[in-house]
Amino acid sequence: MSWAAHQFEVYAVEAHLPKKMDAQVSWFAIFFGDFTPDFLAKFWVYGITINGHHYGATKPYQWHRGWPGMGISHTLFFGALVTCGIWAWKRNRAWTIGYLLGFAAHVLTDVNDSIGTMLMFPFSTLNWSLHTWAYAATVHGGKYLDAAAYYSSLGAVMDLFWLVVVLVSWRVLTAEWWRTKVVPADPFVWSWLGQWFDDRGLLAIYRSVFFYGVCRMIAWSTWAHVVARPVINGVVHHGYPYDLSWNGPWWVTHVTLPHVTPLIVLPAALSLLGFVYLVANTLWDRLETGSSKASASRNLRR
Amino acid sequence: MSEPARTPSRGPSRKVDVVLYLSAAVSYIGLSIYNKWLLDWIVGPAWLVAWVWGVPALVRFIRHQPVRPQRGPNGNPKDAFK
Repeated sequence: MSWAAHQFEVYAVEAHLPKKMDAQVSWFAIFFGDFTPDFLAKFWVYGITINGHHYGATKPYQWHRGWPGMGISHTLFFGALVTCGIWAWKRNRAWTIGYLLGFAAHVLTDVNDSIGTMLMFPFSTLNWSLHTWAYAATVHGGKYLDAAAYYSSLGAVMDLFWLVVVLVSWRVLTAEWWRTKVVPADPFVWSWLGQWFDDRGLLAIYRSVFFYGVCRMIAWSTWAHVVARPVINGVVHHGYPYDLSWNGPWWVTHVTLPHVTPLIVLPAALSLLGFVYLVANTLWDRLETGSSKASASRNLRR
Repeated sequence: MSEPARTPSRGPSRKVDVVLYLSAAVSYIGLSIYNKWLLDWIVGPAWLVAWVWGVPALVRFIRHQPVRPQRGPNGNPKDAFK
């Protein structure tokens, strides 16, 4: 799984929208789209322990990304279904397209760990994985071992990559961008929030996901490499050892699900990314009529 | 929809903003390294908002100044982005 990358990609998508969607795609929708897969699947991955009894998935990786399990939450098919639902409910293309793009970003990023995602669901339940780093959520290790493994492997590089993508597009974090591109795409939500929050507060809401991404990256890395004293193979270490090799780190058990050959995963993921953008581009024009009609109807009711 | 009107006279000072964001980051990272329950997708974003918006709002409250934003010609906050 990816950690702060999922926070950064929200801003990366916002910054790299096609020109014709400029200032018209809801940032909240991108966020919710990116957030949905883990919101649905992750709570049971780590589970909870009450009075010494652990409640949670017995095979976290199977539950999180597999079939049977909640792996469907990490498929483009499920994202497309929810996107259709949003359109049917709201007839709002700013939210429909934003949600689709955010969801797709999450699903495609998650092909990097050793479990990957079921990209071709429902046609195939095989997982598509690049095995860039080891999936490390386990029943006994919980969130801590998962974080330590991620921030000791190429997962940390993945977070840094997405951070750089956002920093290169730094304007996406400015008040000017928020004012001229984010607010106009979602006037009702921002004006509703504006009843309680001044501009400083509203801007903080917009930047908060990025803030959380940066802070969790620093905090988990510091804990894993400075504070923690893990015992690995009977040896006490001052911090978890780094292992930036493919499918690292070596000190966690490597788990996989039935999967396709990793050689075809990168081209397939990039093709699907292009396909999703193509679909979004095409739908954008076609949804305009419905969006305008729904907006006119809403205005009439007021 | 037209873009929101600028209000330079009420615009937050850049220095104050930098201090607020930096202090929010330092406090959050410092505390969350040893209290990892704070590293949560709700607490994290809420921390920034509480710090950057909440601290100045608290100062205004203590000074008996209005905390909720006064927006629009009629003072209706909903006019903010119309």
